[in-house]
Amino acid sequence: MITALDRAQTELANIVGAARVVSDEGTRASLSVDGKTPGLAVYPPSAQQTAEVLRYASHERLAVIPCRNATKLSIGNPPRDYDIALCMKEMNRVWHYEPEDLTISAEPGMKFGDFQHFVGRHGLWLPLNPPGGASASLGGIVATNASGSYRCFYGTPRDMALGVKVATTEGKVVKAGGRVVKNVAGYDLTKLMIGSFGTLGVIVEMSFKLFPRPTERATFVLTAGTLEKAREIRRALQLSPIRPLRAALLDASYMEFLKESEHLKECGGGCEIWIEVGGSERVVGRCSSELKQIALRANETFREQERNSTMAGVWSRIDDSYSGVRANTDDWLLRVSMAVSAVEEYMIRANRDQLRPEHFWRCWAEPLGGIVHLWLHPHPEPAGFEEVIHNLRRLGEELGGSLVVEIAPFAGKAKVDAWGTIGDDFEVMRKLKDAFDPNHILSPGRFVGGL
Amino acid sequence: MKSFTRELIRLVGRDAVLWRPEDLMLYEYDGLSSLRQPDAVVLPTTTDHVVGIVKFAAREKVPVVARGAGTGLSGGAVTPEGGILIGFSRMKKILEIDLENQRARIQPGVVNLDLSLAVSDQGYFYAPDPSSQKACTIGGNVAENSGGPHTLAYGVTTNHVLGLEVVLPGGEVIHTGAAHWGRPGYDLTGLIVGSEGTLGIVTEITVRLMRKPEAVKTLLAVYDRVLDATRTVAAITARGITPAALEMMDGFTLRAVEDATHAGYPKDSAAVLLIEVEGLLENVEEESDQIEAVCREDHARDVRRAKSNEERELLWRGRKNAFGAIGRISPSYYVQDGVIPRTRLPEMLEFIAGVAEKYKLQIGNIFHAGDGNLHPLLMFDARDEAQHQRVLKAAREIMAKCAEMGGSITGEHGVGIEKNELMPLIFSPDDLDAMRKVKSVFNPAGEFNPAKLLPSGKMCGELRVQVSAGA
Ligand SMILES: Cc1cc2nc3c(=O)[nH]c(=O)nc-3n(C[C@H](O)[C@H](O)[C@H](O)COP(=O)(O)OP(=O)(O)OC[C@H]3O[C@@H](n4cnc5c(N)ncnc54)[C@H](O)[C@@H]3O)c2cc1C
Repeated sequence: MITALDRAQTELANIVGAARVVSDEGTRASLSVDGKTPGLAVYPPSAQQTAEVLRYASHERLAVIPCRNATKLSIGNPPRDYDIALCMKEMNRVWHYEPEDLTISAEPGMKFGDFQHFVGRHGLWLPLNPPGGASASLGGIVATNASGSYRCFYGTPRDMALGVKVATTEGKVVKAGGRVVKNVAGYDLTKLMIGSFGTLGVIVEMSFKLFPRPTERATFVLTAGTLEKAREIRRALQLSPIRPLRAALLDASYMEFLKESEHLKECGGGCEIWIEVGGSERVVGRCSSELKQIALRANETFREQERNSTMAGVWSRIDDSYSGVRANTDDWLLRVSMAVSAVEEYMIRANRDQLRPEHFWRCWAEPLGGIVHLWLHPHPEPAGFEEVIHNLRRLGEELGGSLVVEIAPFAGKAKVDAWGTIGDDFEVMRKLKDAFDPNHILSPGRFVGGL
Repeated sequence: MKSFTRELIRLVGRDAVLWRPEDLMLYEYDGLSSLRQPDAVVLPTTTDHVVGIVKFAAREKVPVVARGAGTGLSGGAVTPEGGILIGFSRMKKILEIDLENQRARIQPGVVNLDLSLAVSDQGYFYAPDPSSQKACTIGGNVAENSGGPHTLAYGVTTNHVLGLEVVLPGGEVIHTGAAHWGRPGYDLTGLIVGSEGTLGIVTEITVRLMRKPEAVKTLLAVYDRVLDATRTVAAITARGITPAALEMMDGFTLRAVEDATHAGYPKDSAAVLLIEVEGLLENVEEESDQIEAVCREDHARDVRRAKSNEERELLWRGRKNAFGAIGRISPSYYVQDGVIPRTRLPEMLEFIAGVAEKYKLQIGNIFHAGDGNLHPLLMFDARDEAQHQRVLKAAREIMAKCAEMGGSITGEHGVGIEKNELMPLIFSPDDLDAMRKVKSVFNPAGEFNPAKLLPSGKMCGELRVQVSAGA
C-alpha cells in the first residue's frame, strides 16, 4: 500500500529533487521534536521551492516544522502533528550587502557565527547574543525574536530587521518591508513574522540594519551583598549618565555555579553584577570611574574583569544557557519578563517562597532588560513539581510580567503550557493564524494558545 | 438635525458632536484635501465613548476615521467616503508616568512635545520627534509610525511603543503588547503601529521614555556644492559614527528658512548639514572632532559648532519650521517623502535636479539625510492647473526612482490616499494580498478608514490627490 508519506516523498522530490527529500531513520530522529519524529526531512534550496513545498503540504494537510538544525526547537508546546521537517540549511546565501549603508539581506540557513564573521570584516555586527550562539541560524533567530543580554541597549531582532520575505502556505513568496532603514509603506508584516515561531509562514530572506562594533569593550563587576543591594545599584545605574551594553545580575545560586564551572572566586554568598560597556578608550575610562562611584556609594566592591577565558566563559553562559541546559534532559529553563523595577522583587520572592534546595536552581537576571532567568534541575523530579512552575508563573504575573518555559523535560511539557496566560488580543492572533495558515500545518499546536 | 446626530449626542454629549457644515469644513483636509466632508465629527473623552461610537457606526454601516491633530501629509485623517470622524483632541491625558521603568501610559490625543515636556525636568524625554511635534498627537504618530530628525539614533515610533489599547470595528477592546519586554504571541503592537487607522482605533498607548544624554553638540557644516554634502552623509556612517541627527537642506530651502527664522544659516551656501551628537561628554567631544574631519575631507567650507543652547535651539527651530518657511515664498507646495539607501543620495539629488528642469519646477530639498529619507518640496501655484499636474507627475517620477534604487515610497508620512495607488511600485500583487489578509482579519467590512493605504485599483492616484499643504 502506498501511504500518504510515500506519495509525499515522490511529490516533494519533484519540487526540490530526490536528494533533498530524506527519509532515513537517523536523520529523522535527529530532527524529532518533543518525542515526535517527522516522516520526512526536506531541504529546499530556494525561496520558491520552499513555497511550493508548503503549498503541497497545506493541500495534503501534512504538518511542517521549519528549522535549520533544530537548535531552538525546544521552545514551545509539543506539536500536535509533525510530518515534515523543513530544513533551511541549504539556503545560506547573502543577497545584498552594502557596508556603507549598513544594510544586508541574507537567507535563513546562514549560521549566526558565519554572518558575524562576514560583516565583521568591515567592523560591523548584528548586536545580538542569541541562545545557540554562533551555531544559531538567522532564520531561527528572527522566527523566535531571539536576542540575549545586549537587548537592553540594542533591542531585539524586531528593532533591526528592515524586511523579510516569507514563503506562504499558498505557495507564494511574499515580501514585507524592504532594505532601507526607514519605511512605512503598508502594514508592517515584518513585525508580524518576527517572533511568530514559524507558525504563519517560513522566512526565506531577511534584511537587517547593521551596527558599528564598539572600538573598545570592557567588563566591570560590582558585588551586591543582597538582592536589596542589587536593586539599589540598579537604580543608581539607571540614573547615571552611562548606558551599558549589557548587565547581568548573578545571584548567590549562580555564583556558586560559576565557581565550579568558571573557577570564579568566592564572593561571600552574595550577588555580583556584571556590566559591559563599550566605546572609545576615554569613554570606557569614564564608565569605569562612574561604576566605581556607584559601588563606593553602595558600600560594595568594584573590579575590572580581566579579559580572559573566565570573562568570555561567564558571558557565554549567561547568554547561551541553552547549550548548557539541553544536554541535561531533566532540566527546566524559564524566562520571566517583567518591568525593570520588579526584577529583584521577583528574585527575592521566588527565593523565599518557591524554590527549595532539592530543585537545584540557579538564577540570573538582566536588571536593565527586565528579565529573570531560572534554571532548575530537580533530580529526581519530585511529584507535582509542575506546581512549582505554576507558582513561579503566578508570581511573575502578579508582578505584571509573564513566564515562558524555554526548556522542559518531555513529561513536564505535557503538564505546563510553555507560554502562559493568553490575553484579550488572542482572538485576533487566532484569526491571523487562520488567514495565513488555514489548514494549520505550520508547527501546529506549538505556539501561544495552541496555535 | 438628523437622527444620526441625535444618537451621537446621546452617546457622548452635545458639546462633543459637530454636525453643522461650517464646523465640519475644518475637518475636510489635512495635508491633502478630501472631496467629502465627514457627516459628523465626534470628540470623545473615554475609551467607552469610542466603543459606543464604533458600535453605532457598525450598526449604521458608516465609515469611521480617527483624527489626531490633522498634521498628516498623506490624507489619512480625512473622510473621502464621508462617515464619522473621531477627533482625539479631548483624549489627551497622560495617565501614568513611571520613571523607574522608563515608560508612560497616555491617551492618543497627547501632543508629542507635551509628553517630553512633562518628564523633562526629571531628565527624560520621548524620543520620536517629528518636526510637527508641537502640534501632532502621539495617536497620529502611532498610526503613521512617524519619525523625526533624532530617529536616526533612536529609532522611529514603533521602537518606542510597548503596548496599545485598541478598539476594533465590532467594538471589542483589545490590549496588545505589554509594559515589559517579551510577552509571547504575535506582535500585534508592531502590526498596528503604522497601520494608519485602518486596523483599529487606538485609545491608549504605553510608550518608552529615554534618559536625556549628559551632553549634546550640534554642528553645522556648510558646503559650496550639494554633492559634497551628500557624500559626507555616507562617509560619516561608514566611519562607524551614528549621530543622533543628520539633516540636510539645500541652498534654496535654507535661504527660505533663513529669511523666515534668522537661524544663522549662511545664505550664500549650496547646502548645509545639521549634525547632532549625544552621549557622554567624552563621546561627544571625540565624535564632533571626527565628524568635523569628515566634513572637511568632503570640502565643507565651514564647520560651526553651536556654542550655546540658544544657538542650538535656533538652528533646530530653523530646521523644524522649514515647511512653514517655504509656505512664505510659494503659494503652494507639495512635500514628498521617499527613502533610498543613503549612499545613493548624490545620485538622487542629480536626478531630482533633472526632474525639476524637465517639468519646469522649483524643487527644494530637505532630508533626514542620515536615514536616506528625502523630502523634496515641489513648489507650485494651485491656480495654475497645468503646473499642478506637472508637480504630480514630477513627484511620481521621484517616487519611481526611489523604488528603483531599492528604497521606499514613504519613510514617515504614510500612504493614506496619497500613495495607495503607488504601492505597486514596491509591492507585488502577492505582497499586497498578504496585506489584505491582515486587513480582513481586523477590519473585514473596511469601515475603518476606507479607501486608504491599499490600492483600490479604481482610480489613478495622480488625479485623485489634491495638494493643499502650504496653500
Ligand atoms: C510641518 C510638518 C512637519 C512634519 N514633520 C514630520 C516629521 O518630521 N516626521 C514625520 O514622521 N512626520 C512629519 N509630519 C507629518 C505628521 O505630522 C505626522 O504624520 C503625525 O504623526 C500626524 O499626527 P496627527 O496627530 O496630526 O495625525 P492626523 O494627521 O490627525 O492623522 C494621521 C493618521 O493617523 C490616524 N489616527 C490618528 N489618531 C488615531 C488613533 N487614535 N487611532 C488610530 N488611528 C489614528 C488617522 O486616521 C490618520 O490616518 C509633518 C507634518 C507637518 C505639517
